[in-house]
Amino acid sequence: MVRFFENEIYSPVEHVYKVESVLYKAKSKFQEIMVIENAYFGKMLILDGIVQLTEKDEFFYHEMLTHVAMHAHPEPRRVAVIGGGDGGVVREVLKHRTVEKIYFVEIDEEVVKTSRKFFPSVCSGIDDPRVDLKVMDGADFMKDHAEGIDVIIVDSTDIIGFARSLFTEDFFRSVHGALRTDGLFVTHSESLHFHLDIVVEVQEILKEAFPVVDLYTAPIATYPGNWWTFAIGSKSPDPRALRRPFEIDTRYYDDEIHRQAFLTPKLYGKLMGKSLSW
Amino acid sequence: MLRNFRVQKYHAEIIPKSTLLKVLTYVDKQEIQTPFLLMDTDRIRQNISKIGNNIPNSTVCYALKANPDAAIADLVNKEHLGFEIASGGELKILASLGVEPSRIISSNPVKSIPFLKMAAEYGVRYFAFDSFEELGKIGRYAPGSQVYVRLSVPNEGSEWPLSKKFGLEIDDALELLSCTEAKGLHPVGITFHVGSQCRNPYNWNIAIDKAKILWEKAEHKGIRLSLLNIGGGYPINYTKVVTDIETIERNIARLIAEKFPADTKIHLEPGRAVIGDAGILVSSVIGKARRRDEGWLYLDVGVFNGLMESVGGIRYTYILEATEGAEKRWTIAGPSCDSFDVIDKNVALPDPDIGALILILSSGAYTVSYASEFNGFAIPRTILI
Repeated sequence: MVRFFENEIYSPVEHVYKVESVLYKAKSKFQEIMVIENAYFGKMLILDGIVQLTEKDEFFYHEMLTHVAMHAHPEPRRVAVIGGGDGGVVREVLKHRTVEKIYFVEIDEEVVKTSRKFFPSVCSGIDDPRVDLKVMDGADFMKDHAEGIDVIIVDSTDIIGFARSLFTEDFFRSVHGALRTDGLFVTHSESLHFHLDIVVEVQEILKEAFPVVDLYTAPIATYPGNWWTFAIGSKSPDPRALRRPFEIDTRYYDDEIHRQAFLTPKLYGKLMGKSLSW
Repeated sequence: MLRNFRVQKYHAEIIPKSTLLKVLTYVDKQEIQTPFLLMDTDRIRQNISKIGNNIPNSTVCYALKANPDAAIADLVNKEHLGFEIASGGELKILASLGVEPSRIISSNPVKSIPFLKMAAEYGVRYFAFDSFEELGKIGRYAPGSQVYVRLSVPNEGSEWPLSKKFGLEIDDALELLSCTEAKGLHPVGITFHVGSQCRNPYNWNIAIDKAKILWEKAEHKGIRLSLLNIGGGYPINYTKVVTDIETIERNIARLIAEKFPADTKIHLEPGRAVIGDAGILVSSVIGKARRRDEGWLYLDVGVFNGLMESVGGIRYTYILEATEGAEKRWTIAGPSCDSFDVIDKNVALPDPDIGALILILSSGAYTVSYASEFNGFAIPRTILI
């Protein structure tokens, strides 16, 4: 039996997957892209040796990354998805009938192509006429092209890789500048189990740019540490509250999940006061 | 500009992800000019929170010589640590920060008279000694001080041994302790140093045993001691993962509890353990050569302007700006004309472009504080992040 050993160098656990078959393996300009088949998880997308999604459980991540900010906004019409070349977030955004336009900004076109070929159920929305695919660096897009956006969602690879330009104060400021009143921004920010310090760091940098910053979590089976965090910045709405009724089809996210996904105020206070450690 | 570094599994053991993220984000800025030393302030605070935790009745005094940068000293001061110093220059730094004299000690067994005068005037009360002459000096220029005698202890297993220059055997130490009152001084305790970057936890066992013998002999002579200064020596991760501070301290605490009265005051003097692994030198590759069959990399920081400890055997871990290509074996050298200026040998790294950045991990302690501008090469400036 062939096995795939995940190469997440900063994880204290090492995930190993049985490989039924290797469906694709190639180097793009930016990274190594691999698709493998696993009996339990189905097809798995792997970038630079790190699992990005599996057919079995991708909805946890994509729903939770997308719908919290989308429901905290009173009327999200224009949305930007930075990264997320597999199309999973785009698919979720399109579930909201208010949406008129999605900027889909992916630096590596090969990821989009791979998803088209191997993950049709994930990339199902990317040919929708409202979707405007831009193959470019998300940081450059934010600086020079974006304006009048309601919700900005970052779905990137690891924070210390080439995606780190999407976690800087400069980037967060340009995101803030591109958002309209009531605008919201969301990005993933590592495991609350393994990387408390980075979770806090991202919150702190985000606070330099946004008046309202918060943190929620979701369980992701294939990400090291599992208890995955999402950093959310808002120009005014409280991201903990839904501003619109929940009436879309989802498998995990719903209005109750939305409210309970946020850290309790006491725990959040301890986290930001750096008195949490484990 | 986003720079690509080859980060590998073995790096993860030496530098935490959050520190690396800060460093990479910093060097992405266009206008950087190497060499410079980045210090992760969160990491320093984290280190401070670990030291002394497991040793009851202890006071932690940061050995300022490890890196006397004013901003670092300020941070350490705000974290309420004490300081260990040896010179007027160091005292001036602390004075500029308004550090109370009660939080300053001086453990160098041989001090200059101008420093003693200055320290006494500032109000410093704790001084180490290991010679009759030193007692005379302290008695004259800092009368009424609390003094502690330096014992010689084995330094085997320390990467930076310190025992030859200082320290007394038990009977000599006892004799000097008996003379202190006559010099107008108060004999309060014993100190030793197991050697810096001490990777042999049993050095503390031998040292504490030896201190115990002296402590009892002193008691027999009517000298009641109250202070045990256990120096520094806690190791940090350079190329290997070392025993953690908690394990070392639990061992030390157990030994102290067994052998010394419960109210014994303990002084600790960590330097490296406070700031060493919080520092990352950012340097550039300024040259490459093949000499016979050896590959050479020349950096803008070397033995003279920052990496003096490499001469004593400290080896560093490097992260190179490069993504493609197989690793090769390199001899790594500094920028000066001196052939002594070689930092490391047989290091596996990719083949970098000239101008590529190289991160030198765990280089916060005893680097810039040792550095000179020999040959006109700048001393890396310290930047807190």
